[in-house]
Amino acid sequence: MSEELEKVSKVLELKEVGLSYGDHKVLEKVSFAVREGDCVVVIGGSGCGKSTVLKAMTGLLEPNGGKVMVRGRDYWASDSVERSLITKEFGVLFQGGALWSSMSLMENVSLPLKTHTALGDEEIAQIASYKLSLVGLRGFENFYPSELSGGMKKRAGLARAMALDPKVLFLDEPSAGLDPLTSRRLDDLINELKESLGITFVVITHELASIFEIADYAVFLDAETKTLIDQGTPLQLLHSSAHDQVRAFLSRGNETP
Amino acid sequence: MTNLHHTSSPKNGESKKPCIAFSGDGDAVVCRFGGKWSLNDDFRDELQQDWKSYLKRNSSFNEMSFELEESVQWDSTLVVFLSKMIGTLDASGKKIVLNDLPEGLRSLLNMSGLSPTLSKNQYANRKLYFPDLKFLFFASRFVSFWGEWVLAFSRLVCGKSKMRWYDFAEAARSSGASALPIVTLISFLTGLTMAFVGSVQLEKFNAKIYVADLVSLAMVREMGALMVAIIMAGRTGAAFAAEIGNMKLNEEIDSLRTFGISPIDFLVLPRTLALFLMTPLLTLYADVVGMLGGLAVGTQVMDFSVLHYFEQTQSALSSMWEIFSGLLKSLLFGLIIGLVGCYKGLNAGSNSASLGKAVTSAVVLSITLIVVCDAMFEIIFSYLDLR
Repeated sequence: MSEELEKVSKVLELKEVGLSYGDHKVLEKVSFAVREGDCVVVIGGSGCGKSTVLKAMTGLLEPNGGKVMVRGRDYWASDSVERSLITKEFGVLFQGGALWSSMSLMENVSLPLKTHTALGDEEIAQIASYKLSLVGLRGFENFYPSELSGGMKKRAGLARAMALDPKVLFLDEPSAGLDPLTSRRLDDLINELKESLGITFVVITHELASIFEIADYAVFLDAETKTLIDQGTPLQLLHSSAHDQVRAFLSRGNETP
Repeated sequence: MTNLHHTSSPKNGESKKPCIAFSGDGDAVVCRFGGKWSLNDDFRDELQQDWKSYLKRNSSFNEMSFELEESVQWDSTLVVFLSKMIGTLDASGKKIVLNDLPEGLRSLLNMSGLSPTLSKNQYANRKLYFPDLKFLFFASRFVSFWGEWVLAFSRLVCGKSKMRWYDFAEAARSSGASALPIVTLISFLTGLTMAFVGSVQLEKFNAKIYVADLVSLAMVREMGALMVAIIMAGRTGAAFAAEIGNMKLNEEIDSLRTFGISPIDFLVLPRTLALFLMTPLLTLYADVVGMLGGLAVGTQVMDFSVLHYFEQTQSALSSMWEIFSGLLKSLLFGLIIGLVGCYKGLNAGSNSASLGKAVTSAVVLSITLIVVCDAMFEIIFSYLDLR
């Protein structure tokens, strides 16, 4: 029975996943699981394939080995209808926000709602402005992405990622380029959403402060060996990782206590 | 104890040239750097030669230590030079002593990590590829893109598509109405030029009035469709490639996919359909304006009356097929330009240089395909006795 429970509580699992762009290998044999309601951070030096792993998890890049299991189902073995049902549960915030530049913020957030729900226009507008106010962008509904600062774009991207009330949110460097206070507020928002709505998070981040603030679990990717070299809670990794570079990363290069 | 002494510049300290001096007995050699090492001169080539010839003459030493003179001034050039020397020594198994170098220089050497082993495999991953096979690969991808487009189009016909009609209207406006001025200018001048060229030749046969036939037939069969297609390729096809390529660069395409929205439905369909409809309309317009260009020459230069010219044109275009054949071509041209532009945009790489490349190749490829298709149309028409 406990095995059964284990299976259910794993929202996402990568099994020996290998990834490459054409002939260029990025990662090999990456295995880890994301449990329901957890916040998992993916860490590692620049260019180690963190964003690539995110693409594999969100169905944007087909792995050339291994399996991506979503709630026990093999994602890449499913047909396209099943796949779109699976990804409907996902929300993704890309590195630069990736807002659709020809649309206002309101339209950006409402497009997924229009596409996937049968709600009326008025209700969609209400939901969209509620999502925008969640990230502190009330009053910016009719702005276009080009009129916003980098940090605002990112927050608007987060609002759009949350449009369909996703069960799993993927955030690619949400706090990069944000000032310390905004970045802190974002961490608080993540924690709040996790507690109140039970959203599962997969976050790519470099910010040590936010790693320790938000992460229940961390996986470390290594650029040199092109694979996942360690995983555990951030404190475990900091204090007792067998790999020097993991401890060094989490302590910003200082000696671990 | 023999004292080897070798200097590469006249006198240390005096000149501003960089210099190296080697001293020491047969086993352990000391290498001293002096002078001014600066990015603004090019004395290092000489030094490199000196260093190589020194190595040739003295290969028996086992250890080399490095130090700087008091008066030396140095920048990155010394770091690079030194790391090259270290690389060579390392490769031949000599012992290297850096302890006498200042702390800052040593840590720079350390950080730069310039060692000979690092760059060895630089070209190992580069592969030979065959351009002709690459072309086949491209062709198969383009055909499958076309297939996806047909699927998306059939979804639209069945009413299941996610296409926004607003995007279609916007694309139709920017590729249609906004192109009117340039289409007017180009086709008027095309008609005018043809009339001039034709009048000179026809005058010899005393058949000047056939200028009207020449201009009208050439415009409706060929030049109208071709000129509009070339304008569209340069104006709209390039814009599509740039727009969509830029969206790809900003991960906007990826974010559409994560919401289960097909970029073909959402971005490609409205643009290609707009062009598909606008190109024939513009062609029809260009046909008329081109004939007006001919009329201007006919009435102003050759002194025909407007009515005479008009009647001659009417008799030349007695069959509607003449006009339809041109419009038929332009339908396909519009589709080609739209598909190529969107395809190139969607397949642009992820940096701004490849965006430029995508735009260029969209224009080149669509113009090439247009001319090829035009020739094929003419061959088919003439074999089917439609001309």
